[in-house]
Amino acid sequence: MSNLLHFSETTLQEVALGIMAIVYITRLTWLMRFKAGKERQAATGLGDTTPRKGFIYSWANVAMPWGMESTRTKMFLYSQFVVFHLGVVAAIALSFIIPYAPQLLDSSTLVLVLQIATGAACLVGVIRIIRRMTDTYVKAISTPDDHFSLWLLTVWFAFAFLAVPNSTAGGEWHLLTYFILTAFFLIYVPFSKISHYLYYPFTRYYLGKSLGRRGVFPLRRVN
Amino acid sequence: MSKEKRSHKAQKVIERMGKKLNRQVVGSLVACVHCGNCTDSCHYVLANPGDPTYAPAYKADRIRKFFKAHYDWTGRVFPAWVGAKSLYTDEDLEELKDTVFGKCTNCRRCTINCPMGVDYATFNRMARGLLVSVGVMPEGVAVVSKDQWEIGNQMGVLKEDYLDTLEWMSEELQGELEDPNAGIPIDKEDADIVYSINPREVKYDPRTIADAAKIFHQAGANWTMPSEGWDMTNFGLFSGDDDLGGAVARRLYEKVSELRGKKLVISECGHGYRSTRCEGQNWAQWDIDFVMESSVITMLNYIKEGRIKVDKTRNTTPVTFHDSCNNARSCGLTEEPRELLKLVCTDFREMYPNRAENYCCTGGGGAMSMSEYTPRRLKSAKIKADQLAATGAKIVVTSCHNCVDGLADCIKHYKLGMEVTQLVNLVANALVIEKKVTVPVAEPIAASDLQGRRILVTDDEPDFVTFVSTVLEDNGATVFRAYNAAEAMEIARREKPDLITLDISMPDKDGSEVFADIREDDILKRIPVCIITGQPELRKLIYDKPHRPPEGFVSKPVTEDGLLLNVKKLLKVAHHQPEGVRKQ
Repeated sequence: MSNLLHFSETTLQEVALGIMAIVYITRLTWLMRFKAGKERQAATGLGDTTPRKGFIYSWANVAMPWGMESTRTKMFLYSQFVVFHLGVVAAIALSFIIPYAPQLLDSSTLVLVLQIATGAACLVGVIRIIRRMTDTYVKAISTPDDHFSLWLLTVWFAFAFLAVPNSTAGGEWHLLTYFILTAFFLIYVPFSKISHYLYYPFTRYYLGKSLGRRGVFPLRRVN
Repeated sequence: MSKEKRSHKAQKVIERMGKKLNRQVVGSLVACVHCGNCTDSCHYVLANPGDPTYAPAYKADRIRKFFKAHYDWTGRVFPAWVGAKSLYTDEDLEELKDTVFGKCTNCRRCTINCPMGVDYATFNRMARGLLVSVGVMPEGVAVVSKDQWEIGNQMGVLKEDYLDTLEWMSEELQGELEDPNAGIPIDKEDADIVYSINPREVKYDPRTIADAAKIFHQAGANWTMPSEGWDMTNFGLFSGDDDLGGAVARRLYEKVSELRGKKLVISECGHGYRSTRCEGQNWAQWDIDFVMESSVITMLNYIKEGRIKVDKTRNTTPVTFHDSCNNARSCGLTEEPRELLKLVCTDFREMYPNRAENYCCTGGGGAMSMSEYTPRRLKSAKIKADQLAATGAKIVVTSCHNCVDGLADCIKHYKLGMEVTQLVNLVANALVIEKKVTVPVAEPIAASDLQGRRILVTDDEPDFVTFVSTVLEDNGATVFRAYNAAEAMEIARREKPDLITLDISMPDKDGSEVFADIREDDILKRIPVCIITGQPELRKLIYDKPHRPPEGFVSKPVTEDGLLLNVKKLLKVAHHQPEGVRKQ
């Protein structure tokens, strides 16, 4: 392994993670500086809805495609969401496995699982790029950041796929690219829409708590 | 463009945004990933395929852009990259107005369909409030807000008209039940129930007041209606003006406290229920010590407790139920209305989608008061029309006065041949009156009611004149038709009718000028006038004149029942309307 690759796998990642953590903390501090709105009214609704049940339902919503019409009626899109985010988990895990626990990749099963996850995510990324560039509605709401983030992740998935075997037999370029992209990704994320997962717990917590208090969440639906 | 070159109003909007931001709103502003999942949850999008400017995320971005430009550092550092853009000119504000008032009813359907939990409706309301704070709003919003600030209710109902209507309804009820105790108690202290209503009930649908009174009477309730602070609607919800919202809610809460009422029962109105029950205390920063409840729950409990008896076979026409957005998506009032409906109707048919997934009536968010957006609203109502038609029902029931108007408009526009009614009407109709020696059902307006009455109908729309004239003639009146101002004045002077109905917008001369001519004529000034207009926001043209205000004011669309009730009321009450009464 070259010094450059070693540096990219370790020091570069640690620095990038540190920057990401600092920006995240700054971002969360900024968000928390805004006062949370308070609801004074007595809770309403039937007994099966409470603020607590409301926010738990709201958080769990991500895993309940049947819970929202927008996911229930677009299962292909929802499946893409699942595959894409599993790919993110796999690609991030890989960035820790290779430098700190490379022996895990001796398992051909794990290699296969990671390659399926990242490969499928890369395919979904391509589908999403096409959708973002061609769908009238999605195109109209897309910013340069939306396009760039999607391209970045898709390319990152592709190199993660190549990096999974952790082999330098054909050269180091694919590993090097993967780790440099990972570091860039870590630094770029807090500045971009990719940081949405940082806000997800907050938005869904407050929405769920409020609608739980008002007897709306968990939603009732009769088909 | 620099801050110095920004218009004063744009600068104020930006500055005031900072005071309105809370964690929930900021979260919603930063969390959108532009996935587009919300797109087809919006009835505007479905009715305008291919036009992305109606998409919730697109509309939300009009607000998000200037939030990012001023309050989110990613937007300050990389504005073009994250789509940040400030507001600079008054034209920018007008564009924003078109989006937040004219392309969204704040129905919250996109909110519950957003995977990220972005509550667009909430920050759309915030944006409305920011625009209202600098005077940028549809004319109707300004007029209605002013009425609610000044007169205490959003339809400008004067206290004497309100009390007159309650007295009238009391007399009707006493006559119907042959019971002198069956009236409407006013300002009774220590009552178990203080009943608050929508001013629309006074103006267009007083039968709902009488029906509610009948139910309370039959249940033996210790109840009252306040002489003031009776309006449970709150235009602050629509205009985004928290100060107005707080003032209106507080007016109501204070009256209940003053009367030492134990429970505030809110008549069927989606935004009224949400504003009074859920939002009002937050806007008013006011904690109350009494219970608040929807009249739907009150009626349901009366039946369950055996306090009233109902016979569902009196309501056999197929009915469906339309969930008001505010009731279903913001207050969770979805099951009680259905339970009640099944107790008082024999043929209830569910609408799909329903409950929190129901589509807006398209009249919500104050849309009924913004006539400049009416064509857009009616186009988007196609979604609702399809939903209604698919039920096969003949009557659509809703627990919201706004929805009653929105649905009536939709039904008329798409020629669905359905009626709209409320639960209180169905419950009252199903009510089993214990002592049946008296007349059991509401007295219909007999054909002879208007016999001998001479009414001048003025409107430049021939179809509308035909409709009104036919209804009135069918009920015995002699009708004179005028299609412009000159004809109206000529016929009025010649025939000296008992009542004049007058449109505001007419091609030759403005209706307000005709109204002024009538009031300035020594003979004609004694004739009661009822304004019937499709542009209620123009009513200030009438009310700002230095004359006695019109005896009646009705917004289009007008139903046959609504027209007859108003005409009957006007012809009955006009003779004791004091001269020179001015709106305070």
